[in-house]
Amino acid sequence: MNKLNQLNPTASSQMKIRNAMRSLYRERQLWLISIPMIIWVLIFSYMPMYGILMAFVNYIPGNTILQSDWVGLTHFKMFFDSPDFPLVLRNTLAISGLSILFGFPAPIVLAILLNELNNKRFKKTIQTISYLPHFISWVVVASILFALLGNEGILNDVLIRLDIIDQPISYLGEGKYFWGIITSANLWKDVGWSTIIYLSAMAGVDSEMYDAGKVDGLNRFGLIWHITLPSIRSTIVLLWILGIGGILNAGFEQQLLIGNAQTREYYEVIDTYAYKYGIELGNYSYGAAIGLLKAIIGVTLVFGANRFSKKVLDTSII
Amino acid sequence: MNSSFQKKSLGSKIFDCANVGFMLLFSVLMIYPFLNLLALSLNDGADAARGGIFLWPRMFSIDAYSFMLHENKLFSGFGISILRVLVGTTTCVMATGLLAYISTVRHFSGRKLMRIMFLMTMYISGGLIPTYLLIVKLGLINSFHVYWIPSLLNAYYMLIMASYMQNLPESLFESARIDGANELGIYFRIVMPISLPVFASIAVFSSVGHWNSWFDVVLYNSNGHWDTLQVYLRKLLLEVESFEEIKNQQIAQSKFRTLSPVTLRAAVTMVVTLPIVFIYPFLQKYFVGGITLGAVKG
Repeated sequence: MNKLNQLNPTASSQMKIRNAMRSLYRERQLWLISIPMIIWVLIFSYMPMYGILMAFVNYIPGNTILQSDWVGLTHFKMFFDSPDFPLVLRNTLAISGLSILFGFPAPIVLAILLNELNNKRFKKTIQTISYLPHFISWVVVASILFALLGNEGILNDVLIRLDIIDQPISYLGEGKYFWGIITSANLWKDVGWSTIIYLSAMAGVDSEMYDAGKVDGLNRFGLIWHITLPSIRSTIVLLWILGIGGILNAGFEQQLLIGNAQTREYYEVIDTYAYKYGIELGNYSYGAAIGLLKAIIGVTLVFGANRFSKKVLDTSII
Repeated sequence: MNSSFQKKSLGSKIFDCANVGFMLLFSVLMIYPFLNLLALSLNDGADAARGGIFLWPRMFSIDAYSFMLHENKLFSGFGISILRVLVGTTTCVMATGLLAYISTVRHFSGRKLMRIMFLMTMYISGGLIPTYLLIVKLGLINSFHVYWIPSLLNAYYMLIMASYMQNLPESLFESARIDGANELGIYFRIVMPISLPVFASIAVFSSVGHWNSWFDVVLYNSNGHWDTLQVYLRKLLLEVESFEEIKNQQIAQSKFRTLSPVTLRAAVTMVVTLPIVFIYPFLQKYFVGGITLGAVKG
């Protein structure tokens, strides 16, 4: 084949084309199935990617992006200069910071405790119960919070009965409670679900390791510290990196559902802000710019955290 | 872990007891909110306003539930939610399964292209606003189609399904091809029946997603014609709606005199939650396999 190529390059390229045509014909059914799928993904996934360019122009619906006026980084500057910027940044970092502070270690502790349960059936039951809130919609969670924390909710009811307060406190209507409420709600919803990945890593540990540990005189705590924890070390690092990368994802639906006009000062995060300005008020380019900025920072953070853990912990994901 | 190897120390026993106690407390924390709403929904409305219902209804009444039977908006919301789950899940599972299948056909030269094109979408997306404008431009807003067309193919589901199909014996398909079966025939007659477990698990996940979704209804179907049950519940939470509803109904028929927004909300919340609870045993059966992957994805 190689010799033939050297002797007659045109003949070989003709053959290549012929081969390609032949395989195209042989695979015609598969290609016929693929084409509508390719069209779908181009429209629904790649067109919006092209749409990101609207962050750099003054986009008006009806015009195409290329017809609109190029404004460069104006929208980004507008966001930094807006009086809402410090507030939105503070809320985003506070809410996701609190979520990481409690939501990151909690599943690790819970998974270790579940792993220490001796009765398999009891363990399985608790696991099943703990996953349930993950499958409940945020609308239902909001309804639960109204029933628990509303003016006529259980918490006020109990506190008044115990004579701790005389007047019901509007927990959902006062901004200072919002961060605590949303952090608890996030924790309640996902702490059980997040244990799955740790538990599956722990299940991979050979039980002989524990027997050997006991022979060496390790107690319960020692076994956890020297055998269980190292087994989930790489999982912890992985989730840590992803968590840092997602620090600007402070939630979206939950803010819209649990927050209200009185608590706006504490619930408005980057995503809800971009939605309000971008879609509700029709400043599409401004909203797209904020979304793009957030995505870029997110990717940078993932790479940064990955590099850090590579250097310090000698484990990385990329 | 297996602890029968050695006799347990006292400290170890205390730890076990405390651990079991903690787990019981933890599961109460997970379940209690639902039990409370259930009790509230089964209580008389006027009586519930006095408070003090924690675990058990004080004045038993199913008014809130029978009210729902007379409530057209809720009924249509329920119907639309179910229609969305059926149409959205069926189309998504069928189409994504087909995509997964062709991405595993070994002699297909476009297989890598298809995989990369879809996997890319897991990492990069256009974001909320460009997507919204696209849906507007395609004329999908204020229509039922927005519930299934944009979610037809899912890269993450494709990954799970393809990893299952990769383990199927290639000779099965080859002999079918020699017998003259076409690719769609192979997909429907061979791949789907033998990949039933993975199809079932993706169906369960997709249907939970469709049932729970709220924001896309608000965003794309704001005119109210295609309101799902989640949107109806949200409107009840916003107070205004529930008072209006109840007042109208009370005038129309004296039957629901004692209905209150609190019990109605609790009852609707139960109706939204119960299908999930019923589907939950199936969920449990299927989610362990593919989901460790999902947890990594975040």
